[in-house]
Amino acid sequence: MLAIDLAEQIPTVSYQTTGAEAARVVAEYRLSGLVVADEHQVPVAVIPGSQILALILPAYITEDPTLAHAFDEASADQMCARLNHTTIGELLEADELTAMSLPSVLPQDTVVEIASVMVRGHHPLIVVREADGTYRGTVMMSRVLAAVATAAGQDSALIRRRLERDLIQRGEPWAPPAAGEQED
Amino acid sequence: MGVTALLAVAVFVSAYVLIATERFNRAVVALGGAAAMVAIGAIRGEQAFFSAESGIDWNVIFLLFGMMILVGILRTTGVFEYLAIRAAQQARGRPFRMMVTLILITAVASALLDNVTTMLLVAPVTLLLCERLAIDPVPFLLAEVMSSNIGGAATLIGDPPNIIIASRAGLSFDQFLGHLAPLVVVLLAAFIGMAWLLWGRHLRYDAERAEQIMRLKLDDTITDVRLLRRMGVILALVMAGFVTHAATHLEPSVIALLGAGAAIVVSRLDSHTYLEDVEWETLLFFAGLFVMVGSLVHQGVIGSIASSVSTALEGHYLVGSQLILGGSAVLSAVVDNIPFVATMSPLVLDVVGPAGGLAPQHQSLWWALALGADLGGNATAIGASANVVVTGIARRNGHPISFWTFTKYGLPVTAMTILLSAPYLLLRYFVLAG
Repeated sequence: MLAIDLAEQIPTVSYQTTGAEAARVVAEYRLSGLVVADEHQVPVAVIPGSQILALILPAYITEDPTLAHAFDEASADQMCARLNHTTIGELLEADELTAMSLPSVLPQDTVVEIASVMVRGHHPLIVVREADGTYRGTVMMSRVLAAVATAAGQDSALIRRRLERDLIQRGEPWAPPAAGEQED
Repeated sequence: MGVTALLAVAVFVSAYVLIATERFNRAVVALGGAAAMVAIGAIRGEQAFFSAESGIDWNVIFLLFGMMILVGILRTTGVFEYLAIRAAQQARGRPFRMMVTLILITAVASALLDNVTTMLLVAPVTLLLCERLAIDPVPFLLAEVMSSNIGGAATLIGDPPNIIIASRAGLSFDQFLGHLAPLVVVLLAAFIGMAWLLWGRHLRYDAERAEQIMRLKLDDTITDVRLLRRMGVILALVMAGFVTHAATHLEPSVIALLGAGAAIVVSRLDSHTYLEDVEWETLLFFAGLFVMVGSLVHQGVIGSIASSVSTALEGHYLVGSQLILGGSAVLSAVVDNIPFVATMSPLVLDVVGPAGGLAPQHQSLWWALALGADLGGNATAIGASANVVVTGIARRNGHPISFWTFTKYGLPVTAMTILLSAPYLLLRYFVLAG
């Protein structure tokens, strides 16, 4: 399979999106990371999902993880609420988020070329762009692995579905699966 | 002075300037200086590695190494976080009461562990407590790091300068306790009074916010009760070993290494975990420094300076001790106190000799050096390694402490502690010594 076959249209966020909204987008679409787009909807940066999770942690907990045990449930929820008061742009500016320079592949690149870019930069997702920079979609780790599994003879209905259905479709409200089809 | 000696002085001064500017990695500079000393023939490999007078002081290196491993294992238990949160809860969230308990915990921990590690443990939990109380953590962090530098002066292992001085002067753990700990208790009491004037009187109590402190889950911070009990026993044995080392003739470095070995065995932690807290860079810095200073000793440079100092002193040891106290404080405020003490120790050794059997008046020079170097570190943000660590943690958590903010509070604290130490030296080693 080629990069263009694996590319999906996924929801993007902007610099004005709040941390809480970004967390919702990641959760709703089960994304492994966020694509930040500019005002023209052109992707400009990728943020791994783990960084969104790290946003609820004050720096002192990163320095001393034992302190995470000291919070009760109410205090922990208060910490999560902090994400409502700050935007992705502000977090990037304050270095609380580190955007990866946009990792990308060409539409005709193979699975091996995609894997090489992902592994080298620890990218959970990368974008597909034409040589002139035109955005064609995003490739997520799970879809690459679905292609790898298929090529290695690990075929299944779920794997086929992962490769056939776009992420936006998977993110639609849940409906009972058709006969012979399982929900992923 | 021969050409080699002059070259050695040039290498030493160049390295010292580079270390003081902090523009280059200090371990690289010290090791580079050591390599240059060997290259110009100021010292040979055999002397650098095996000479007790002019070589690397392995007692210092391995004492630090052993204690770093012990602390690395102890911190995995969460005991420091437990103590700090418990102290805050006992203070019922009253800010100044909380500050005093944190000052005392930090000072005691710094006397038993090294200051940098103590601050790495205390600073994050302080940020948590202050966030809960919605108060500025900067006064707390400043009070803690200053009490850490004061508390560290009390024991042989509390501050790296003390470890160097103890090794060069042949001073024991209980001698440090007997000579410096009583003064440190007085200094801490005075510091708490000063902390009230500097910060405490401006802190406000908020009952609603204090409730947030009481809601913190204290017991959950202890992550391994069994290991904590075992480490308690090992640390008690190590401390007993330090106190009795003059009688048992076991070097403190050997005791620390035995303790570290026992801790590794009982903790069953993987090597990555217990070696994580070993500051290899600091150990290499010490090694390079010892070779550079040893080269000056070997070339007779230190001996010449010591002879001039002895002549100038003309037996006026009171003046000498007061000058060393004040001079060490000033210099330790502007340059790292470790290279300063590493250079001064062989000088004092040449002037008065090892501390054992010395008259109190002569011995006062060693104590003046320790006090000046330890307490002078409080004056500026770069005076001691712990200060650099705390300002870094504060900045990463959104509470930057500028150089001048630190100096504004550090300078009066240093002046107060040095002004109290001066009469202590006068009374204990001259007036009352007869």
